[in-house]
Amino acid sequence: MNRLRLTRWLVSLPPTLFLLLFFVVPSLLMIVTSFRYPGEFGGLAPLSVPATGLAEEGSGLYGLTLETYRFFFSDILYAEIFLKSFAVATATTLICLVMAYPVAMLIARSAKKYRNLMVLLVVLPFASNFLIRIYAWMIILGPESTFSHLINSVLDVLGLEPVMLLFSPFAVLVGTVYVHLPFMILPLYTNLEKHDPVLLDAAQDLGANRWQRFWRVTWPQSLPGVFSGSALVFIPVLGMFAIPDILGGTGDILIGNLIKDQFLGTRDWPFGSTLSIMLTLAVLSVAGLATWFARSRTASSN
Amino acid sequence: MKASIIRSYFVCLLISILAGCTSGSGSGDNPSNQQDNVLRLFNWNNYISQKTVERFEQMCQCRVTQDYYSDNEELLAKLAAGATGYDLLVPTGDAMDTLIRQGALRELDKSKIPNLKNIDPGYLKTKFDPDNRYSVPYANTITLLGFNREKITGLGLPTDSWAIIFEPEYLKKIKGRVTVLDSQRELLAAALKYLGYSAHDTDEAHWQQAKTLIIRAKPYWAAFNNTSYIRELAVGNLWVAHGYSNDMFQAAQDAKKTGRQFSIDFVIPKEGAVLSLDSMVLHRSGHRPDLAHRFINFMLEGENSAELTNLTGSGNPNLDARPHIHPEIIANPAIFPDAAQFSRLEMLEDINHTQRRLLSRIWTEIKLR
Repeated sequence: MNRLRLTRWLVSLPPTLFLLLFFVVPSLLMIVTSFRYPGEFGGLAPLSVPATGLAEEGSGLYGLTLETYRFFFSDILYAEIFLKSFAVATATTLICLVMAYPVAMLIARSAKKYRNLMVLLVVLPFASNFLIRIYAWMIILGPESTFSHLINSVLDVLGLEPVMLLFSPFAVLVGTVYVHLPFMILPLYTNLEKHDPVLLDAAQDLGANRWQRFWRVTWPQSLPGVFSGSALVFIPVLGMFAIPDILGGTGDILIGNLIKDQFLGTRDWPFGSTLSIMLTLAVLSVAGLATWFARSRTASSN
Repeated sequence: MKASIIRSYFVCLLISILAGCTSGSGSGDNPSNQQDNVLRLFNWNNYISQKTVERFEQMCQCRVTQDYYSDNEELLAKLAAGATGYDLLVPTGDAMDTLIRQGALRELDKSKIPNLKNIDPGYLKTKFDPDNRYSVPYANTITLLGFNREKITGLGLPTDSWAIIFEPEYLKKIKGRVTVLDSQRELLAAALKYLGYSAHDTDEAHWQQAKTLIIRAKPYWAAFNNTSYIRELAVGNLWVAHGYSNDMFQAAQDAKKTGRQFSIDFVIPKEGAVLSLDSMVLHRSGHRPDLAHRFINFMLEGENSAELTNLTGSGNPNLDARPHIHPEIIANPAIFPDAAQFSRLEMLEDINHTQRRLLSRIWTEIKLR
């Protein structure tokens, strides 16, 4: 018994340490930073008035302040950016889910010897660098590309105005979906693979048609996979900045871009930290809601 | 004697193992150590000719190692995060201002830089370093407009004014074929110049006016873009871009080399523009200020300096370099502006944290609307 407890403790130690080091400590640093004044050269203003003549170089502001939070809540602009990022993340998650589910099902139901190959094909794009793949989309979606010409000639036949594919919200969605699709397929596949085919046979014997077999047998069983896949897509998209930077148009700013700007262009670490904290809170509340939802579902079905 | 050397070697080894430091950085801490014959350069991407580097290496019997950054913010952020050991940096004026005020730079010993006389006095004594105690001009770029000559003249649009990227009456003919820089300061400066203010005006009312101007023009722009406009102009996807003169030079070269049906031109708008002067400065953390001084003097030789301009199309503050620069580059007024144009160029100045936060808010609003 004692030994079991020791093993359990030993096993859980590394992940706990990991979380402590890479989540708790940075979060605490971020919280402290958000209450401070920005330094003149980036970084932070000192906490107390420096003893020597260094004072002239600073902003003349020291100590802790609620300034950044006041700034954040002083107008609706930042809330709008959050809403927009949530909308993009939600859309990406839904599109990924719709695209990934059939693929995952196909892999899970094909002969065992092909499955590994198919999974390999799903993760194969990771072999090349993320940014290079995004730049490739710039070429595919560019106004002089074959793809653009094709789309626009179809639109022309239909009597519609030509569209610009690159530098648009559409391009951003293409990018986010493309990059995150494997993260949806893999958890779904691992879930679907474990389903017992006997259940489907039983449902068929009881008179369920194709749709009913999916909706009442496969889908409810796959919900854990759906939730973990959605979390793996939703959360990274929420903090994404590279894709809107590269593929986005003039209005495609997400919360990630704003945070990046605070640390580079604006050199305003405290406000960047405040934005990050708000983002973390938003992500945690989404994750909390999802868990609560999943739990209440399983509780009600039992 | 020998034994003591061996012993000290072992002690040193032990210390370096315990401290987790490499022997390389150990010897680097000693400035008089001539074994470490390396000049460490922290420079912009593609901002020196490989031939020049090789020639310097031969001359000084040393090695040059280079690290690169793609904008001033990256340079400052990396230094702020603790990057050290660089002998020489090449920041732009406002970033240099920050570094000087931070006390991060080493003063120059001008007796070791006789070639300083080659620099055009118009580029010395800048506001950031009035006596050139820390900096020697390296090269400059101008933030201007590049365009597809055939398309724009074909449409009968003006090419000598910021109006082409701000006025809807012109923009509606080139909708979706225009990009502007994804830089708060540069775009604001362009708008301020167009409105008739100074590029480093910090009056909030003027900023708001510039914001309104930008938001009105934004629906016609394809994107805010800092790097890929070079390629997009050169392949014909873009017809007008707000960007740096050396990038436009690159785009023009690329379009010519690939035999396109059009050519890329670039001009300084008549309302004036932003001049970025990049200077060589010594970082305090460098171990070889002696080599750095030799390098500065070497780079100030006309021939070496000209090589940079011939490669990148950057402006050149070095008078001695002029005879060695390709005539068509010298003849380009967007790279070597005449006195009247030069007088309308301004350098950006650093702004304080309240202004930065306000600008960031305006920028967010611009992006979101």
